[in-house]
Amino acid sequence: MKQGLKVFLILAVLTAVEFAVALLVPSAFLLGLMATAKAGLVIYYYMHIYKLVAEEEITDRESYAYKEGTNRVGLWLFLLSDFFLFAGLLISRFNLLGFTRPHLNQTLGFAVTVMLLVSSYFMNRAETRFKEGDLAGFQANAWITLGLGLAFMLGVVAVEWPLAAAEGLTASGSAAGAIFYLMTGMHAFHVLTGLIFLAIVLRNARHGVFAEGKGWPVEAAAVYWHFVDVVWIFFYPALYLIGTLI
Amino acid sequence: MKTFFNLPIMRGLRWQIFGTAAGGLLVAAIRALMGLEAFGPLLFTEPSWVVGALTGAIAFMFGVGALDDWLKMAAGEAVAEEHHDPPGWQKYFSVSYDHKVIGIQYTAASIILIGTGGLLALIFRTELSRAGLDFLSLQWYNTLMSLHGMIMIVSILVGIAGVMNYLVPMLLGARDMAFPRLNAFGFWVVVPASMLLLGSMALGGVDTGWTGYPPLSVRSPIGIQMFFVGVWVAGWSSILGSLNLLVTVLRLRARGMTSFKMPIFVWAAIAASIISLTATQLISLAFQMVVFERALGMPFFNPDLGGNPILFQHLFWFYSHPVVYVFVLPGLGIISELLPVFVRKPLFGYRWIAMSSLGIALVGFVVWAHHMFTSGMNEYLRVPFMYSTLLVAVPTGVKFFSWVATMWQGRIKVETPMLFVLGGIFVFLLGGLTGPPNATVSTDLHLHDTYFIVGHFHDTMFGGYVFPFFAALYYWFPKATGKRLNERLGKWHFWLMTPSVVGFTLLMMRIGLLGMRRRIADYDPALGFDFTHLLITIFGYLVFISVLIFLYNVYITIKRGEPATGNVWGSRSPEWQVPSPMPPHNYSAEMVVVGEPYDYGRPDAPPYVIFEKQESAQ
Repeated sequence: MKQGLKVFLILAVLTAVEFAVALLVPSAFLLGLMATAKAGLVIYYYMHIYKLVAEEEITDRESYAYKEGTNRVGLWLFLLSDFFLFAGLLISRFNLLGFTRPHLNQTLGFAVTVMLLVSSYFMNRAETRFKEGDLAGFQANAWITLGLGLAFMLGVVAVEWPLAAAEGLTASGSAAGAIFYLMTGMHAFHVLTGLIFLAIVLRNARHGVFAEGKGWPVEAAAVYWHFVDVVWIFFYPALYLIGTLI
Repeated sequence: MKTFFNLPIMRGLRWQIFGTAAGGLLVAAIRALMGLEAFGPLLFTEPSWVVGALTGAIAFMFGVGALDDWLKMAAGEAVAEEHHDPPGWQKYFSVSYDHKVIGIQYTAASIILIGTGGLLALIFRTELSRAGLDFLSLQWYNTLMSLHGMIMIVSILVGIAGVMNYLVPMLLGARDMAFPRLNAFGFWVVVPASMLLLGSMALGGVDTGWTGYPPLSVRSPIGIQMFFVGVWVAGWSSILGSLNLLVTVLRLRARGMTSFKMPIFVWAAIAASIISLTATQLISLAFQMVVFERALGMPFFNPDLGGNPILFQHLFWFYSHPVVYVFVLPGLGIISELLPVFVRKPLFGYRWIAMSSLGIALVGFVVWAHHMFTSGMNEYLRVPFMYSTLLVAVPTGVKFFSWVATMWQGRIKVETPMLFVLGGIFVFLLGGLTGPPNATVSTDLHLHDTYFIVGHFHDTMFGGYVFPFFAALYYWFPKATGKRLNERLGKWHFWLMTPSVVGFTLLMMRIGLLGMRRRIADYDPALGFDFTHLLITIFGYLVFISVLIFLYNVYITIKRGEPATGNVWGSRSPEWQVPSPMPPHNYSAEMVVVGEPYDYGRPDAPPYVIFEKQESAQ
């Protein structure tokens, strides 16, 4: 069995267990621990954080390989910066609501979470195929990722938002509503930028722009996509699972 | 004149106006369709102005051409590695990828902004020179006072970026920054941001002080939205600029330049960049939340609906305290960099200085709540934050001891840059010594929101940033232009500025201790502060005049200064080993580090760097 699939199965089991834990023993500590474990798996196996420290001796600084390493450091620093934004949102959520949570549609929340997780798996598959030189396989998997990502975004913005508003959780009605829409909205915005980036990469790959091993944009799109997933790994329990209902 | 209007920067500004109009009209149309009011008393409604501000800033970036290469890349077209700048002065008004051009663009923008911020201060200082409201309305006083704060902060961030951009690749022996296009983006985004900040004056002004605390900022005129969006846009420059700098240091150091052989300024730049890369996100978030609360009614800070105004202060100060270290760390780095050159002795305790910069940056992340001792936050937070704040004095003290030990028994050459270094050390010491009383809960409860804080803050900013910044300008001016600034005018500048700064800050502290509240437009004549306020105002004017002398110095030096293309100061630093001004891509041969950076006064010491001619670098 391929590594990507193994990691995905562990992630899937953890997500299911997370849901069960939230129903049986709603412990913020346990849920936080599981989210951290999931994020760790994605960051290591899907985002290949270890590539940052892989010491390959490249002396020619004008070479593509060296520049790729430089770009990688830049991308990760950008993600570090972005991480502070999402951490700030999480802290604001706990500052405003403490260990309570608004009433939301649990089935829908679980469904969109699964969609995003599965999309991460296909993104990983797409990247692997690309590295193997299988352009058709890359495209097929990237299309699936795009579709799932779009479904996630619409699921949140076009389905979840109106549903929540209909149940009385409006952006202007309470701080709970405000922080819910800000967190999901900010995340959806990042999903949207990831989709646009992925679409551009997919188009350019089809036109053969990334020939001769110059595939940094593919890796960048993948790493960014997984980062968006990692953010949701924390946002999902923070919004849907942790705390008692208001 | 036609050339002027065809410059990319002017095209960008035109695009910004069109972009603002387009975004505003779009929202007006949507509002009309929703049955809401489409236009307001200030032409647009508030949501229109917010969206217009954003679309205007984006349009500027398209118009100026900062996005051209990225758009081509996205379209799958090949992009040239080399970028050719237009000749002469026009390149400073166009998108250039050369880090030295960008550094000068940043520095010039910073001086323009510092002049603007200073002018605003002079206007409201004139109002304060005697009790009673004389010529400003309360709203205008508040607007000028708030914008003075924020414009100065942006100008300092831009000035820091200018010095770092200009110097770091040269100090590292690199051809350019790691991401030249991102570098250009980081500079150009400051221009629409400054326009937004200044534009807030036309939309009713800002009456919250630079901190923009809710609930006051929720009730301010629309101008506050331009202020928030402007700061948010300027934040991009900080984040992307610091990212670029960190990558450059990590990836593009010369051969042999291990971490403890880097010029000390680079360490300071790293420490400052770590803060601006990460913490900037939190002020963006805090400001965005107020923008949303105002435009969409999302009650983050409204206690009636479950919001919490203290949350804003936590998010705001998580950035806004560490950012003062972004201001002063590069300044202190400049002091450490220049001192050994002018005392002809090695820098004392190099490693300690390098680590103290990092130490200040890291401790700086856990001190923010000392701004909130009187805010009504949880009381158990007070004492831990008091101690963490006092801890900052330790690495800062390390720097002072190192400077004193470096100067000890040195042969001090008192030239203008050295004067500003010494002035910086003295003024920063004043600011540093008046810090602990503000950090200590018991004394801060009395000092909070008084002129004592204002005096303390201006000492740290002048000593930690303004003096070192001018030292750097005098020191590296020959590098950038091939001409040396006039020494006599430089000394006039220094001797006019230093006593004035010391004078007005000490007077501020004095009346602050006696109970003068900060940020107020008028005060009771019975307090007896009239004469002191008059003196503060006069000192303020003298500082402004001294800066005018500097600008005059720059003007006549560029016009008819003596050429100075060699190693003007007898420095060991790599950029001075080659003739000034430097060509694009800096060194024509590969730079290799073979010695220590600060082995001054040791005749047998090997040079810091050599250039290997046989390796044909481009």
